[in-house]
Amino acid sequence: MERLTKSTVTGICTQMTSQLWKEAEISELTDPKLGVITGFQDLLEELDALGKIDLGTLPPAGAVQKDTV
Amino acid sequence: MHEDLAYASVRHLRHLLKNSAIGPRELVSLFAERISAHNDVSKAYITDTSALAEREADALEGTEALFGGIPFASKDLFDVKGVPTTAGSRVFYDRIADRDSTCVARLRKAGAVSLGKLNAHEFAYGATGENPHFGTCANAYDPTRIAGGSSSGSAAALAFGLAAFTLGTDTGGSVRVPAAFCGQVGLKPTAGLVPTTGVVPYCWTLDHVGIMARTVTDAADILSVIAGFDAEDPGSVNVPEENYAAGLEEGVSGLRIGIPRAFFYERCDAEILSHVEAVKRFLEDEGAKLVPVTFPDMSQTRTVSLTIQMPEALSAHSTHLRDRGDLYGEDFRAGLAVGQCILAEQYIRAKRFIARYRQETSRIFKDVDLVLTPATPIIAPKLGQSHVMVDGVSEPTGNAVTRYSTFFNMTGNPAVSVPCGMHSEGLPVSVQLVGRYFEEALVLRASRAIERNDKFAIPLPDLRTLKKQ
Repeated sequence: MERLTKSTVTGICTQMTSQLWKEAEISELTDPKLGVITGFQDLLEELDALGKIDLGTLPPAGAVQKDTV
Repeated sequence: MHEDLAYASVRHLRHLLKNSAIGPRELVSLFAERISAHNDVSKAYITDTSALAEREADALEGTEALFGGIPFASKDLFDVKGVPTTAGSRVFYDRIADRDSTCVARLRKAGAVSLGKLNAHEFAYGATGENPHFGTCANAYDPTRIAGGSSSGSAAALAFGLAAFTLGTDTGGSVRVPAAFCGQVGLKPTAGLVPTTGVVPYCWTLDHVGIMARTVTDAADILSVIAGFDAEDPGSVNVPEENYAAGLEEGVSGLRIGIPRAFFYERCDAEILSHVEAVKRFLEDEGAKLVPVTFPDMSQTRTVSLTIQMPEALSAHSTHLRDRGDLYGEDFRAGLAVGQCILAEQYIRAKRFIARYRQETSRIFKDVDLVLTPATPIIAPKLGQSHVMVDGVSEPTGNAVTRYSTFFNMTGNPAVSVPCGMHSEGLPVSVQLVGRYFEEALVLRASRAIERNDKFAIPLPDLRTLKKQ
């Protein structure tokens, strides 16, 4: 996967989003300064790795059920 | 106020109230005075409603209610009728609750009296409890350090003796971590056991209501009041009512306690590990069998959690973000922007990973009754410390403090942090006990066995030396 660029994020954040985002927030996605959460590029790389793991037909998690021992 | 009352257990206060050794009004007033004296330093309360509580307490004179006259406080995400719910943010500057959250309603019905609303990381986004709008809660054992978060005020209020018990929320450790940093018992029940109705959401999939208390017995008593099905909460699970305090003194003999082979004991402060080793030895001496267990690969668990948190938070905040976007803190907005750019397939995949984590964890619980880990890999960090160094690895503070707790928000298992000693730097250390779904009684029973051993008891903080930071 290619590295995310600011122009890509700018495109997403102006053409197909539910919210308006500030320039600084778009920059934070590609060049993190706050460091509060994982940088978005790092997250994307980790998601790419997760995407390569075969989960078969396992559905998404629902409500928990009492364990049977 | 007498220190012995400020730090008394709910059980003891109930005994005093029942025997008219103290009246509800007198007790509430004593806590009110204390809030007045210590809130500048602790920053535990955002909204102090103790004057209102004093009037409510008058009506409780002679009550037979289970929690009649017991003063408590809740994280400022819980609605309390007629009182602002700020969620630790300027965004909700004008939000006044028109009804009680389900948990608060259940506690008030049992006679408990709400003293006010407690500080938190803005919208529960973050584990350090740093809050630019209402200040950052200090740790009562060392005010140069954080109380932890996001339920920072819930832990600080107990450690400073400003409430008899508190409510918080836990999405990645936000009850267990601050409880551990401040020497309190922190309980995150099974997902769906305690309703979240009337609690400002952060991430529906991972949010849990939690309890902080001075003793394991108090936590069990409080859980018995607030647990139970609520049709208004889509995540609520219908299980029979239970008295969680019933078997607390039965000990750990015969229990099989899982000790994770990897991850949960790695990159951990050496003194914390030493305290946990002492707990392990004690549990063995008491007749428990320690069993090595292997959890799923933990290397991606934070990624999975974040991939669910941020889109859900964005969805929860979509209206306010449009209308009041400038009132949000910079860090929270940045997190929401991440949520905007996560693809639907990535979000669904993360939820499928949760299903896998649950399957694999349930498999572990076929062999063991409980799992024991350190509650946190480090003691409470300094205020404003953005990164911590553990075993030569630098890590963002928020990531480090929740490293051992986040996983169990995804699996939904009940988990308790319970104090087990003091670090040489003068701060509390805690272990985490995790159990099978809806087996809170067993988790609390083992926690009580640890608590009962004086060797693991911790001293009260010495507030005489504290000054406003």
